[in-house]
Amino acid sequence: MIKLTIDGNEIEVQEGTTVLEAAEAAGLYVPTLCHHPQLTPYGGCRLCMVEVEGARTLQPSCTLPATNGMVVKTNTQKVLDARKFVLTLIFSERNHFCMYCQVSDGDCELQNRAYDEGMTHWDLQPNWQPFEVDASHPFMVLDNNRCILCRRCVRACGELVGNYTLGFEERGADSMLVADYNVPLGESSCISCGTCVQICPTGAIIDRQSAYQGKETEVEHNIGVCVECSVGCQRDVLTRDNRLIRIEGVWEAPLNNGLLCDKGRFLPLEDDRPRLLTPLVRKDGNLKAATWDDAINAIAEGLGKGEGLAAIASTRLPIEDLALFKSVFADSLKAELVTTLEEGKATASLAKMAEKLGQSFESNLETLKDTDAVLSLALDLVDEHQVAGFFVKRQLTDGTNLIVADGKGNKLAEKASFKLDLEAGKEGSFLLKLHEAIESETGDEGFVKAAKLLKAAVKPVIVYGQDFAANADDKAVETLVGISESLNASLVGVKGNANSMAASQLGLESPIKTNGYKSAFIMLGDENPSQKLIKQLEDFPFVVALSAYGSQLTGNADVVLPVTMWAEQSGTYLNMDGRLQKAVQSLEAPEGVLTSRETLLKISEALEVETDADWKTRILSRTPTVQIKES
Amino acid sequence: MKTTRSMVLVSSDPESLDRGALDVFSTLQKQITKFGLEEEIALSMITDISKHAMSPLVLVYPDAVIYGPVTTDDVPTIVEEHLYKGRVVQEKQISAYDLSGRVAWLSSRKGTMPAENRIVLKNVGQIDPENIDEYIINDGYEGLGTVLKEMTPGETIQVIKDSGLRGRGGAGFPTGLKWQFVSGAKGNKKFVICNADESEPGTFKDRLVLEGDPHAIIEAMSIGAYAVGADEGYVYIRGEYGLAISRMKKAIQQAREYNLLGENIFGTDFSFDIHIHTGAGAYICGEETALIESIEGNRGEPRPRPPYPTTAGLWQKPTLVNNVETLANIPAIIRNGAAWYKSIGTQSSPGTKVYTVLGNVNVTGLIEVPMGITLREVISIYAKGMKGSATFKLAQTGGSSGSIIPASLQDTPMDFDSYDKAGVSLGSGALLICNEDVCVVDLAKVLLNFFRFESCGKCNPCRIGNKRAYETLVNISEGVGTLQDLKDLKMMSDQLYELSNCGLGQTAGSPLKDILAHFRAEVEAHVKLKVCPAGICPMSGQRVYKIF
Amino acid sequence: MATEVKEGQDIRKIVRTLVQNHGDEKAELIPILQEINREMGYISDEAIKELGERMNLPSSHIYSVATFYRMLSTEPRGRHVIQFCESAPCHVAGGRLVWQRLLRELGLEKGETRQDNKWTLLTTSCLGLCGVGPVMIIDNDIYGNVTPEQVPGILSNYE
Repeated sequence: MIKLTIDGNEIEVQEGTTVLEAAEAAGLYVPTLCHHPQLTPYGGCRLCMVEVEGARTLQPSCTLPATNGMVVKTNTQKVLDARKFVLTLIFSERNHFCMYCQVSDGDCELQNRAYDEGMTHWDLQPNWQPFEVDASHPFMVLDNNRCILCRRCVRACGELVGNYTLGFEERGADSMLVADYNVPLGESSCISCGTCVQICPTGAIIDRQSAYQGKETEVEHNIGVCVECSVGCQRDVLTRDNRLIRIEGVWEAPLNNGLLCDKGRFLPLEDDRPRLLTPLVRKDGNLKAATWDDAINAIAEGLGKGEGLAAIASTRLPIEDLALFKSVFADSLKAELVTTLEEGKATASLAKMAEKLGQSFESNLETLKDTDAVLSLALDLVDEHQVAGFFVKRQLTDGTNLIVADGKGNKLAEKASFKLDLEAGKEGSFLLKLHEAIESETGDEGFVKAAKLLKAAVKPVIVYGQDFAANADDKAVETLVGISESLNASLVGVKGNANSMAASQLGLESPIKTNGYKSAFIMLGDENPSQKLIKQLEDFPFVVALSAYGSQLTGNADVVLPVTMWAEQSGTYLNMDGRLQKAVQSLEAPEGVLTSRETLLKISEALEVETDADWKTRILSRTPTVQIKES
Repeated sequence: MKTTRSMVLVSSDPESLDRGALDVFSTLQKQITKFGLEEEIALSMITDISKHAMSPLVLVYPDAVIYGPVTTDDVPTIVEEHLYKGRVVQEKQISAYDLSGRVAWLSSRKGTMPAENRIVLKNVGQIDPENIDEYIINDGYEGLGTVLKEMTPGETIQVIKDSGLRGRGGAGFPTGLKWQFVSGAKGNKKFVICNADESEPGTFKDRLVLEGDPHAIIEAMSIGAYAVGADEGYVYIRGEYGLAISRMKKAIQQAREYNLLGENIFGTDFSFDIHIHTGAGAYICGEETALIESIEGNRGEPRPRPPYPTTAGLWQKPTLVNNVETLANIPAIIRNGAAWYKSIGTQSSPGTKVYTVLGNVNVTGLIEVPMGITLREVISIYAKGMKGSATFKLAQTGGSSGSIIPASLQDTPMDFDSYDKAGVSLGSGALLICNEDVCVVDLAKVLLNFFRFESCGKCNPCRIGNKRAYETLVNISEGVGTLQDLKDLKMMSDQLYELSNCGLGQTAGSPLKDILAHFRAEVEAHVKLKVCPAGICPMSGQRVYKIF
Repeated sequence: MATEVKEGQDIRKIVRTLVQNHGDEKAELIPILQEINREMGYISDEAIKELGERMNLPSSHIYSVATFYRMLSTEPRGRHVIQFCESAPCHVAGGRLVWQRLLRELGLEKGETRQDNKWTLLTTSCLGLCGVGPVMIIDNDIYGNVTPEQVPGILSNYE
């Protein structure tokens, strides 16, 4: 432990703590701009300068390691003058006229810092040139006029996301934030994760959708889990007057540390699918608007006692809804098929293995954040489960080896140390060969190379996804577990949708077959139905659909009930590595639109069947592939 | 008023005289007069030329071009083309190695000039830098042999500490202490780097050492590597120094062939090799952490310190970074002992210092003199006085680490501590000596313009402060400055020092501080009277940088 | 300084060869960029892309580095590149007037390349040739003690 004094307070901190961290831990305020807790200390803006006894000049507290006996002062006149000078310089450098900026009023850290220092004006003459605004990107606008060159975005793009799109051009006073080799942002290698927007302390990178829609003082925050995939990132949904304004990652979230991907951040705000606002019932061949009562009656009539019934739910729905769904259709109505749209493809073979072993065999996502060798099996983390992909990508410059095994185009493979060919359906023999190579270092050259790399690693991780799980038979999964034991490697199974694993724990993983059924109950939520499903349902005499949006499926259905979309409902999610997390409601549902859960209760009432709302026991009653922990 | 810009020397050894050197000399004299160059070009004879085959020789400095054999028929072309038009007469030029490695005029000053005390420049111009044998004959690699065979690393460091040698890169940090830090740093892998990114305006001393005595650097780095426990070294040479780069490459190759680099040097367990990394045009890379970033393949942006390179340098390994001139002292210190070295120079700054003397003086060029000599001595003795007997106004000591030295400080001993006490700095060893024709506002403008373009841009004070300060100076030079501007300049100078991340920013404001401290009346004349006393500033009354 | 892009040279091939010779360690980036600059006269987007793939470096990093260093250029330059020293020693020796004459003769501002691609005018920090200031370098030719009157004559030496 290290003891130092800051502003007269004796503070004890761990070795390696910076003076800034020590001050903050002691509740002392030191202003910063280029610093961000998620980034490596940088020392560029010089706003956090403090007086250190014995030092020749003021010292940047963000990069200065605390040492024993250090005496620090954070609010002497010299320090205060320095802060004002730094802010004066920044304000004089480019066009920082707050009243014209979209992020003023609490959203702008530069403005906030100036207010904190009581600045009403600045003394130096500004002299700047206007720069063109880059509005080429579909979600973001890059305005160099507002840039203070703190490079938080550049560092975040590299250090956190591992994408390295943003960089710096020129040097000194000519320094300029650019994408790639100075191409418009919209034509760059940007993957639209939006981390730069979120980390920008000023209005230099703003997102199109929320600009001028509401400032910090006018919006509400709703923190919950993202439901776009099974990673389970925490995010903050900003709303104003029951309108979505913006989605941000939560910096303090232990899993995603503020990161989101385009699917979690931008695309939900782009959603323009036609919304269903009233129940529809087919009469004389045509779907007609109906009351809830009429629609529920039509359902009760159509489903009867549940003979020949297939019930299918979306894995984007909360566990509460899925558990109730199972209670109604499997337990009470004893429907012939009760499953999900995912049909257990991402989970079934693995879940079976866990049951056979009688224990979990997968590790949590944290192992991906700190690994020296990754083997990715039939999985493209650039395309899906992107945030998990960021964890891998950002380590590749630090010497982490990545081996990508896939049989089709894979964008992650471009960044791999080398590639192996893994043909779909041949997972078993692939893994056997790899296992052989690990055990005896014999066989195909590529396998031997991979085996050597993985064996040399201290913390190897094998990561696989839906395609792998769907094709791997029991034998293949057994080999996989064997390999992980030989290598002492962590296994990370990327599941499918947000509640893919919950569905598996509920045993909702049967494949969908179509012949012989009389009726179908499709609980879509806000998910888009696949063409395959639409085709499959054509043979069903009676189809009920619960959906937030109109689609070809709802058009073909016999009864359609309008339900809430993700932002209008709350509930629990079980992510890919066993975290139970809450999604919170951030918008009021339109009038006449119910949650899937409420709808199910109405239906069970009409059908006069028992329901059981206890989902937790159900979730925990099956051996999970990865340990379940409540957060 | 004109200044001597070139020195033309004609060889006058017996052989040259036999071959008509005197005729060549007098023809040169006539031709120089014919072109009206007599005030700009100093012509003289020299005797101690070791190269005879091509004599008589005509040497032109500072271009360091050697012509030979020269006949009277060649003279008009040489004068017209080279001296008048500035184009080298390729056909008559000889022996590439002598181009600037053998700084001919330096040799010529023997006997006619006060004695210099040559340690750093001992071999420069005296030996063939492309021939390792010549270096070895002149006691070369003796120091390395001594430390490897007779001394422990600890003893080696002690000698350097005892010598009192201080870094010649500008900051004057005790070299032995630095070696000790690296030696004591944890880690099996360590590096030695020679900082040869000499880019301070007006400074070219390191270039001449690299070109004229590259083996001294190799030997010194090897001694340093042995002392601190390193096995790999880098010479970071400024990209513009083509000849220095090729000389150093060749020297390293020769040293490898003689097993003075490589495995088991001198049959001991010590192994060491050196790579060359060339700069790509960035003054800031002279800053040691920026230099390290540059070797690693990054933008040359200084790192936060601590950690210092001594504990976490190149690839985060403990790294010893020494300047060329510092290193060039090492072999001599090992050979002659710490006591010998301490006997030269002053108590707190032992040894010699190499200066490049430039500006409005009669003789410009490179001198190596003991620490503690005064500026007045340099001007009157070595530079043979101000050109045209003008009055000395100031000297600028080069680059970001330099200062503007007013006449009032010309009797202050030039050593680290005395200058520090006087609030000025020795800088890189450039002495740009100016007479009263120089305007301090104009001079500060040029210096700030330099920093403005050479700032890496990482930290706010340096990136924006230098730009603002430059613009303020431009306004003053256009006659639209205000007294508030002077206050701003002082504030910027103070804050740049307090807040900047590295040496460049910290000292970039010193010209501002210096002109306000020593030449306030002249600066105020620009602001209050709208007059540039030296008649240099445009004083147009027009604002170049407008208030928004 | 070869400032003409050699006709028919496949930049991708050049980059590949360079990476083969130097290796793909990041420390080799600047030496490789220097060679590309020498070979091609400047570092094109295509060169950056290819180099990024070969060295497994992001193009933003390569571009950031290439624009940081003055000896590297990411823009095509004229057939002849003038580097004028604007450091204090040359300035004091009369550089200012030479610079003004140069601007007038060329009709260029600092950093510009003339439309006919003949000249690129750059300034440079000290070249260590202070003894003969004012100094300017055209391609590889050094001119010392330049006076304003000499400027047209010097320029006329170049095609």
